[in-house]
Amino acid sequence: MNVFEIIGNIFIIAGVIFTLFGVAGFFRFQNFYIRILVSSKVDAVGMLTLVVGLAFRHGISFFSGKLMLIIVVLLILNPLVSHIVARSAYLSGHEVNDPPEQS
Amino acid sequence: MDLLWIVLWIMLACSFIYLWLIIRGPSIWDRLLGKNLIATKIIVMILIFASINDSAFLLDFAIIYTLSGFIGIIFIALFLAERKKRRNP
Repeated sequence: MNVFEIIGNIFIIAGVIFTLFGVAGFFRFQNFYIRILVSSKVDAVGMLTLVVGLAFRHGISFFSGKLMLIIVVLLILNPLVSHIVARSAYLSGHEVNDPPEQS
Repeated sequence: MDLLWIVLWIMLACSFIYLWLIIRGPSIWDRLLGKNLIATKIIVMILIFASINDSAFLLDFAIIYTLSGFIGIIFIALFLAERKKRRNP
């Protein structure tokens, strides 16, 4: 277990925790627009830290290079899709009346 | 059970939770959001599996799946927006 492995494991555990936050945030909000904002953002961060942790475990290699490429592609596409889904939901008149805020 | 296997199972559990949301989701837009999140989870699972078996060719699958999956979602969303307009102009 050299240093790279330990750092990688820490990042992976952090990524899993962020992903669980995303799931928790998903059920916390009932409004669609808040839900898409929270879950897609937290999901992207969770995925990012987790894949960086994976890259750490493999050190400097061809594998990590491909992982970095996947990170770039995902970081470009994820917000793009979330924006398009939210925009087309709004344009097609998807009003969501917030449930009475439970104190 | 190595750390990566545990993480793999956690990711699988998360995607099943999102799957339950897709079924329950009040509107079609929630379902689309659920599909998007499950797609990300699947990609992460592919990466973890590739890291476990140390097989670099699996990463190409993840890249292709990412691109095709997201393009699919984009056009589904655009179609749904148009469908609502055509129904009640």
